[in-house]
Amino acid sequence: MVDALSREMGLYDKLKLDKGYYEIRLESIGGLGANLCGKMLGELGVKYLDLNSTSFSSYGSEKTGTPVKGFVRLCNKDKEIRVHYPVVEPDLLVVFHQALLKDDSVWKGCSADTAVIVALEPGQEKVGGLKCNMGIVYGLEAQRIAIETKSRINMVMLGAALKLMGLEDVEAGERICRDTLGKKYPEALEGNLEGLRRGFHEVRLMDVEGTECSNESKMGQPVWGYENAPIGGINPRFGSTVLADLSPSRQGFIPLFIKERCINCGLCHSTCPDMVFQFAKGQYKGKEMMVNQGLDYYHCKGCLRCVDVCPVNALVRGVESEHPNKEYFMANQELIRTPDYYEESGPDGYITSESYLTEKRMEGGEV
Amino acid sequence: MREDNLRDRHLDKVAGDDCQKNQLMEYASGNEIAAIAIKQIGYDLMGYYPITPSTQIAENLDIMRANGETDIVMVAAEGEHSAAGICYGAAVAGGRVVNATSANGLLYAIEQFPVQSGTRYPMVMNVVCRTVSGPLSIKGDHSDIMYLLNAGWPILFATTVQQVYDFNIIALKLAEQVRLPVVVAYDGFFTSHQKGRCYRFDSDETVRSFIGPKVEKYPFLDLERPITVGSYMNEPDLINNRYQLHLAMEQVSCELPGIFKAYGELSGRFYGNVEGSHCPDADTILVLLGSSYDTTLEVVEEMREAGEKVGVATIHTLRPFPNKELYELIGHAKNIMVADRQDSYGAGGGNLSLEVRAMLQKYGSAARVKSLVYGLGGKDFFKEDARRMFELAQEENAPDFDYYGVTPGAEGCSVEESLFAPITPEKTNIDATKVELISGAQVDEVDDVETEAIKPAEQNQTFVKATGGNLNAVTAMPARIAPGHGACPGCGIPVNLNLLLRGIEDPVVFLFQTGCAMIVTTAYPRTSFRVPYVHNLFQNGAATLSGVAEICYRKQQKGEIPPGDIVFVMVSGDGGMDIGMGSAIGTALRGHRLLIFEYDNGGYMNTGYQLSYSTPLGAKSSTSHVGREQYGKTFFNKDMPQIMAATGIPYVATVAESNPTDFIKKAAKAAYYAKTCGTAYVKAISACPLNWNDKPATERRVIEAAVNCCYFPLYEVEHGVTRLSYQPEKQGKKIPAVDWLSMMGRTKHLSNPEYSHIVEKIQQEIDQRYNSLKKKCEIDK
Repeated sequence: MVDALSREMGLYDKLKLDKGYYEIRLESIGGLGANLCGKMLGELGVKYLDLNSTSFSSYGSEKTGTPVKGFVRLCNKDKEIRVHYPVVEPDLLVVFHQALLKDDSVWKGCSADTAVIVALEPGQEKVGGLKCNMGIVYGLEAQRIAIETKSRINMVMLGAALKLMGLEDVEAGERICRDTLGKKYPEALEGNLEGLRRGFHEVRLMDVEGTECSNESKMGQPVWGYENAPIGGINPRFGSTVLADLSPSRQGFIPLFIKERCINCGLCHSTCPDMVFQFAKGQYKGKEMMVNQGLDYYHCKGCLRCVDVCPVNALVRGVESEHPNKEYFMANQELIRTPDYYEESGPDGYITSESYLTEKRMEGGEV
Repeated sequence: MREDNLRDRHLDKVAGDDCQKNQLMEYASGNEIAAIAIKQIGYDLMGYYPITPSTQIAENLDIMRANGETDIVMVAAEGEHSAAGICYGAAVAGGRVVNATSANGLLYAIEQFPVQSGTRYPMVMNVVCRTVSGPLSIKGDHSDIMYLLNAGWPILFATTVQQVYDFNIIALKLAEQVRLPVVVAYDGFFTSHQKGRCYRFDSDETVRSFIGPKVEKYPFLDLERPITVGSYMNEPDLINNRYQLHLAMEQVSCELPGIFKAYGELSGRFYGNVEGSHCPDADTILVLLGSSYDTTLEVVEEMREAGEKVGVATIHTLRPFPNKELYELIGHAKNIMVADRQDSYGAGGGNLSLEVRAMLQKYGSAARVKSLVYGLGGKDFFKEDARRMFELAQEENAPDFDYYGVTPGAEGCSVEESLFAPITPEKTNIDATKVELISGAQVDEVDDVETEAIKPAEQNQTFVKATGGNLNAVTAMPARIAPGHGACPGCGIPVNLNLLLRGIEDPVVFLFQTGCAMIVTTAYPRTSFRVPYVHNLFQNGAATLSGVAEICYRKQQKGEIPPGDIVFVMVSGDGGMDIGMGSAIGTALRGHRLLIFEYDNGGYMNTGYQLSYSTPLGAKSSTSHVGREQYGKTFFNKDMPQIMAATGIPYVATVAESNPTDFIKKAAKAAYYAKTCGTAYVKAISACPLNWNDKPATERRVIEAAVNCCYFPLYEVEHGVTRLSYQPEKQGKKIPAVDWLSMMGRTKHLSNPEYSHIVEKIQQEIDQRYNSLKKKCEIDK
């Protein structure tokens, strides 16, 4: 009878559950709450859509600003879900952050049958730089909606995902939202419900431009294997993390350098966790000293510690999208050769999760 | 029982035939449902130490405890060895006791387990299976659980989230019935972290009455009939004790089916010590443990539809091994493939395959048996992998034993050209921070605005004076740690490491204990280190670096490596200084020439912020939640510098990034002592925006506030003489502790009036420690 209900809703057909699973992959960055979004999608499947479901995230150590993948599988209520591996060929791909679009692993297993939702920048009209020949790309200004509704981006994306799954209305989403937030954070509930509704209603079909149709992933066989890797896990590539491009860790802001104000006090250098500031011998006001040459934006995670300590406002906060060509961008000076590439991903590609405190904040509660 | 609270966690009555009427549906992970089972059973005590992926069990119980849903005593030990000890003591005293651990935690505690079984004290331990280090891996395989095969504990292995719940209940009943401790094992991450639909009894009473009352045969706390536990026993008696243990295992084989049956009647879920699908008429059978069995079930269905006569089997009792039942299930097959998620190196297979082979031989089976080692370090097991394993089982020429899923590496790829030039002593000798020796009489002449100079009692003692540390000048120091590491934005660890290193102008050799700093710098195949670096587990880092340093000095003495100063630096978080405190103190007492640097962010941040002994009183953490019954952490932060000072080492210092020049100069002094004199210990308070829950950009101000409220006073103890480096009250900067506490999300709740008594306690403790430091300075004057 319950199944009949599912069929009546058309969900069974819409999700093509006769073929087995409907699979969702969430592509996000630690701190945006994809973990919770996946959990809510899974839970509402079981509780309110008369389906069976499982959900989990990519596992790793607990760091923010690094890529996180969430996986949700939905199927017919009577079917047991016995597979435990990540979603390889998603039916629905939900991308929480523009910066992830350039990451090959995000596109792994996607095809023309995959529906994609991308969180857009305000005013963005087209989605570009796709690395896969996608059939249908949807988008919504998730961050703006989240700010306007005082909800979180994960709630907005949840609403959009429900729409793309073919739900007639957002009621099931509202119910799971009430379950998850209602008692714990009643004051945050209305905003999140509104974010959810607007996500559901505002997600729209997008024009796509500039597809780099490689459909191939670099995530093949590891370069080092049993024949060529040094024994014991020894790593002789000293300093090789310098190959990582950490710009996906940034959340929209960068420090901007106003060189003429700089007094070369070195405070920025003392507070930067990411060795961004490039000092070299030079002259300042006629004195021989170390002089700030610029910033290595490859490794800047946008924490803005430097902006906070700069006594003369030579470092100020800027919106990254407004500065496509960064002035005083200087690669690490100690390198003796230019790397062939900077790997376009966070530092530890398969790291996940948020602090349980962040998670609570995601849910809308004050910590 | 407490139905209202249970309702809070979104439960639904299960309708229809899916489940018995006495149950509720949960959407939960293995760890979550284990915590629910533990809560329902009504244990007296959980002794534990956080280790991924088992930690969530304690975390979830702590939430329930904070909300008043359970009154279980939660004891966060300072390491797994102690956690197992706490559990043993509690079991001896007649409590119902539970533990949860994984991987190296299990191995660290391992000597306690045969004691528990040999003296016959029941308890239950959840082993959430994870790869044993090293190289350090946090993901799932079965290399840990197999170390327990000889421990005398029955081991139940759950393949699904549902079984985690059911086996936890069955385990305690079994344990108390046969008087043995019992393990419930399941796959780390695959089972522990994946959420799915499962069922549990709606009433705790149902669970409790199934298990029944605890009966103590020899009550330890019966003072009128005292007993001795833990005799000194050799031949001819010991073998008899062990025979009793053997008989108890036999008893498990006899009694467990009855418990399974009773549980099945209660829950509608019937288990056996083996489980299989399509085995009776199968020609080829795959045998696997854990979640892979679950996955293979689906593959077998698909292959059967294609007409292939395949089957799959698993065992639910790793101990006692279900020889007879397994033979009856699979003994008739032509081809049997046993896939192991671990290897018994040199034995020609993992332990499961060895035991299956022995079993088949025992019963004279004619099956061709092969085995594979697969899925190590959490490597995913896809349906295609199961299909391939079935093929290999049937291939005439496939080897009897092999590894599955290894990769040779890309051809022509060796170690590429270096990105950096080596860091030579000439490059680090930037002459920005200098040290010189001065006599005790000169100490009060040290020119430092921030220092209140205190004349030491011993005028003739030699002290070290550091000058320089100018922030502009030290930018010339090459980065021994390269950028590109994976620390969170705004993390204090690299900030502190950089300040330390900018004060050390000699070559550096590193040892990092397990922790955030190690994880974010060395994720294979990359490393941030541009100088020699070794990682070791955090109960043993200082000892390991002692060994490194001694060999270096010996090789230099023998002329095998060039002479010259090298500073050996051990880096540890405050977590490492909990579990590794013994090793650090031992190293200090022996006086090895090395520097121990502790970054104290007040919690086990790498594993998701569990409390450490350095977490402030009252702070929230995932094992000290705030709720109706709990206000956060219940005991004061550990005063590690004073503990280290008490070992009598020549130099102890505290540093903070808010006073960077002081930091750099102390680093230079510590390095001087480490290379010439003995052990030096430096501790920095280190910001963690993720878990302090504050803004990355403003962390330096939070650190400054910690210093200015004297929670983290800056001082040094040099040759036993204590000197404060900075006294905020003299600069008019002293602030009350609550001002600092309210800057961080983890302690912000304390500014609420209802916690004023806690803040008062914190302030008192801070004042007392600070006054005691000042008194030490006075005495030395």
